Amino acid sequence: MAYFVSLFLLGLVLGLVAVASNPAPYFAALGLVVAAGAGCGVLVGHGGSFLSLVLFLIYLGGMLVVFAYSAALAAEPFPEAWGDRSVLGYVLVYVLGLLVIASWFWGGWYEGGWVVVDEFKELVILRGDTNGVAMMYSSGGGLLVLCAWVLLLTLFVVLELTRGLSRGALRAV
Amino acid sequence: MNPYVLTIFLLSLGLGTTLTFASSHWLLAWMGLEINTLAIIPLMAQQHHPRAVEATTKYFLTQATAAAVILFATTLNAWSTGEWAIHQMSSPATITIIMLALSLKLGLAPTHFWLPEVLQGLNLTTGLILSTWQKLAPFALLLQISPALNSHLLITIGLLSTFVGGWGGLNQTQLRKILAYSSIAHLGWMVMIVKFAPSLTLLSLLIYILMTTTAFLTFKTLSSTTMNILATSWTKTPVITALAALALLSLGGLPPLTGFMPKWLILQELVKQQLPLLATLAALSALLSLYFYLRLCYAMALTSSPNTLTALLPWRLTQNTNPLLLSATSMFSLMLLPLTPTIMTLLTY
Repeated sequence: MAYFVSLFLLGLVLGLVAVASNPAPYFAALGLVVAAGAGCGVLVGHGGSFLSLVLFLIYLGGMLVVFAYSAALAAEPFPEAWGDRSVLGYVLVYVLGLLVIASWFWGGWYEGGWVVVDEFKELVILRGDTNGVAMMYSSGGGLLVLCAWVLLLTLFVVLELTRGLSRGALRAV
Repeated sequence: MNPYVLTIFLLSLGLGTTLTFASSHWLLAWMGLEINTLAIIPLMAQQHHPRAVEATTKYFLTQATAAAVILFATTLNAWSTGEWAIHQMSSPATITIIMLALSLKLGLAPTHFWLPEVLQGLNLTTGLILSTWQKLAPFALLLQISPALNSHLLITIGLLSTFVGGWGGLNQTQLRKILAYSSIAHLGWMVMIVKFAPSLTLLSLLIYILMTTTAFLTFKTLSSTTMNILATSWTKTPVITALAALALLSLGGLPPLTGFMPKWLILQELVKQQLPLLATLAALSALLSLYFYLRLCYAMALTSSPNTLTALLPWRLTQNTNPLLLSATSMFSLMLLPLTPTIMTLLTY
């Protein structure tokens, strides 16, 4: 398990490097997807299986939508990738910075927590995350309907703004 | 735009304001504000021409920033006091941040720079929605938090707004910019009094909405966006031209007209609160605004432009807009002053 978690952590860091160094939206979005997937894996490794499932489904679903829109809006015929010299320069600088910071913390890395979650604070029957989902659907039903409406509205807003190719409000200049 | 999609946007515009009105919880109020912003954006960029898109972008950036600041301040408030209710704000820091964010949203003086430029990029109907309906939701929040607000902050913002509104409009020839500066000045009056008499704020907002609707609809009927077009537009509908001059003077706040009512009552309330200096300054700042309204009146109705008469005559085509709203609002913006006691009773009750 520790082997897998360290693999996921490496994927997370490399995905974030890809996000930070790529000027083309295709590869940056791809890096974001890799980072999100690996992050969910790290969460599973630390016991947040339900949370990571939700994140994986919803975050990656949203990510794919963003990917589609950004690729549609800023599509360039010859995107720069990791092979190009300028992007490679960014990658090297980021990795170097990462190594410097890692060596700064080397050895003195403790497991710290910000908040106590789940059953460690008080006696509960259900786990915190599943309990929270039940709460969301029971007490927050009206707000969920509202959120669904806002998502639909956002879809219409984005479609209306991007409509009409070069005659539309937004265009690839 | 597809009529079904337009219906969705207009319904959501209504939903956002209604949500903010109905909520006592900051999160829901914030959601209402965001829905409002989101729903008007495609309406603003409807024509797809570069100036409208630029105006839309500026509007989106300012409104999103203001909403994010409101969310930040309310979260801070909930974190420190555990309280999400709008009317039970106690921490002075968060409430001041919220007031500044609301003034960015409304276009009040230190953060007013976006308003003239955004309004200048829109057509008159969207500009009308922007300067009337979109002000309602932030004002509902402002009225609810006003008891806990710092009066020095409110007076500073209000006085600065009235002066900036007056000075900014002085040399403008574009009608939409003049209307934007007039909006800043009027909102300044409302914010100045909100701590002392919230009902007066409500009254001035109501009357400002009536008067600015008259102005926007008049300019739309005459299809004019600059003073030059206004000066030669009297042959189109002479009656509207004559009434519009009076409506502009009403916006300026001259006595026998409706626009005098809020200024009169606000000045009286300020004097009652032992603030004669503030009242004097506010009255003097109204003179600045009056100057550019008078300039519009002069160009429109008090002089005739030096053209040959036949060059001015337009084709008499059947008008396909319904004049009902314009006639109602111009009537209100000219003749409501005798009803002052009734309206005050209605709003203070």
